[in-house]
Amino acid sequence: MKISTLLKSSAFAVAALSMVGVAAPASAQDGKAITTVVKISGIPWFDRMETGVNKFAEQNPEMDIRQVGPATADSAQQLQIVQDLVATGVDALAVVPMDPDILEGILGRAMDRGTIIVTHEADNQANTHADIEAFDNADYGAALNERLAQCMGGEGKWTTFVGSLGSRTHMQWVGAGEENAKKYPGMELVDPNNESFDDANGTYEKAKEILRKHPDIKGFQTSAGNDVLGVGRAIEEAGLAGKVCLVGTGLPNPSAAYLDSGAITAIGFWDPQKAGMAMNAVAKFMLEGKEITDGMDLGVEGYESVTVKPGAGKGLLIVGNGMVLADKDTYKDYLF
Amino acid sequence: MSAAGTSHNQAAANAGPGGGLSGLIAKRPEFVTLVLLMAICIAVTIANPAFLQPSTLIDIGRASVVTGLFALGVFVILAAGGIDVSFTAIAALTMYSITLLVQKYAPDLSIVVVFAIAIAGGVFLGVVNGFLVYTLRVPSLIVTIGTQYFFRGGLLAFIGTTWIMELPGEMATFGRLSLLEFETANGAIVSLPVYFLILPVVAVLTWWIMRRTLMGRAIFSLGGNPEVTARLGYNVKIVHLFVFGYAGALAGLAGIVHITANRLANPFDLVGTEISVIAAVVLGGARITGGTGSVIGTMLGVLLVVVVDNVLVMVGIPSTWQRVFVGAFILLAAAFFVTRQRKFKPAK
Repeated sequence: MKISTLLKSSAFAVAALSMVGVAAPASAQDGKAITTVVKISGIPWFDRMETGVNKFAEQNPEMDIRQVGPATADSAQQLQIVQDLVATGVDALAVVPMDPDILEGILGRAMDRGTIIVTHEADNQANTHADIEAFDNADYGAALNERLAQCMGGEGKWTTFVGSLGSRTHMQWVGAGEENAKKYPGMELVDPNNESFDDANGTYEKAKEILRKHPDIKGFQTSAGNDVLGVGRAIEEAGLAGKVCLVGTGLPNPSAAYLDSGAITAIGFWDPQKAGMAMNAVAKFMLEGKEITDGMDLGVEGYESVTVKPGAGKGLLIVGNGMVLADKDTYKDYLF
Repeated sequence: MSAAGTSHNQAAANAGPGGGLSGLIAKRPEFVTLVLLMAICIAVTIANPAFLQPSTLIDIGRASVVTGLFALGVFVILAAGGIDVSFTAIAALTMYSITLLVQKYAPDLSIVVVFAIAIAGGVFLGVVNGFLVYTLRVPSLIVTIGTQYFFRGGLLAFIGTTWIMELPGEMATFGRLSLLEFETANGAIVSLPVYFLILPVVAVLTWWIMRRTLMGRAIFSLGGNPEVTARLGYNVKIVHLFVFGYAGALAGLAGIVHITANRLANPFDLVGTEISVIAAVVLGGARITGGTGSVIGTMLGVLLVVVVDNVLVMVGIPSTWQRVFVGAFILLAAAFFVTRQRKFKPAK
């Protein structure tokens, strides 16, 4: 384990060093360099993103495309990496900020020097040419709820979980879910917005309590990545798999066993592979001087007709339709 | 101190109001915990009679195991006049490393051996704490904040950050073994897992160590007055190593229980729960300054915290208010204890 981490960090060092060497000759051949900087390297989510970045590199062999990221989830380390990359003169950066505020300064300076900046999961980032979001939060919440309603047959008690009440996106998802459920007068929301703190065990205890208080509950809509695991375990242990519906944000690999057993009805997510490709595609368009317009096709699945709005700063906010809802039969297409 | 002390306290309890309620509270603070616990259960039952069903008891029993194991370790350290905030990091580090090792090299390893390795690993990390506290002569709070960061940082930086969803062999099946199982009216199955038994066994062991052995005497003595303890001829270094090692052992045990129950090993788990564990021990009547406390009080304190955590939805407190409610409750209960203890210091 230790060795593989060492290898990973040395691989990063090599990548960072070769950046210095490669950047100059590459630009001489008019092949530009785009580097993707993720929140943390080595976790499944960003490993999956790297497969997208590598795919984009294969499609654009003349360009110098790579992905780097800090070994731990630390915004200061990410800042350091971005600073180093800007100093080596990379042409474009595709950043998934750990903490958008911390990166504002360096991204602003990089933009002044003519570096193209593209961000993801940071719709409040002011210093960026374009921020890319996989989907509209309201659409996503409504889609999760629609899947839940379909499983519940449009009637029965249901409840919602959020990571925390302060999590803006989670509240948007369940809010849109509640809005959608109004289409079904038979659906009754009980004890909503339970906080999970993204802790599978705590979520499990809370789900047990809800099952006890409402023995006739029919549905759960959850938000944080671990929620489906906690609620799924409570449903499965109670022998209610297939009788109580559960639709929430989750990752295919961790959820696989519960999807197979029927304890989780469906999971929703966006594919980081496609998001990585979309960021690089936008960066490439911008390097070529092309304008990003409303309804444009980025050439990436789920981003064939993007919505373009003004962003938090001078840049653009590009919203795709990259949401994925996977169930027992389809999750195997997205194993990460 | 031991048997005689208990029967004397029992006599005080029987004396009732005539013997002085405040004297009783000072001598047997866990009595207050018990009254609080019963008051909450009655209040919840009035608010929602659905609380009174066997599955509630089982769910609370199950939810108490990991917190209870941690709390017993903290109780022993508090009794010796120290404090530990690194136990959750010890649990996370041992459980995750062992799961990785078992998965890679010995997927068929017996669960008993897994527990043994976890305990050994926990003892080692705990002894590191004890050694640092003793040799550096730095308050144990500072040392264990440091080791918490160190153990957790080491885990995430060098060992791994990915969840292990498929626990190997017996680690996966152990969490699902049930002691008793029944079906409720709506067809849901309620089961009490076998791992629940670990908590009473460890509680009795801890009680025995604290009340029946020389080490127990040394621990209370060290918490009461460290200088006198050294002069009495107790080996203060050994006591330090023992209390932190014991807490480490329980943390290692709790870590494995946590993952087998949870069916996944998540290296980000556990750390962050230490405050509610310490609150449980203090609510059980142990003084944060050391020298006091009891196993039964600690267990009642754990039940109190777990019950409060598990009835908020039952009572119908909206989730926006739940944290306010828990915080206010802990504050009130703790303030009550502290003022009682200040007014009526137990005769030594």
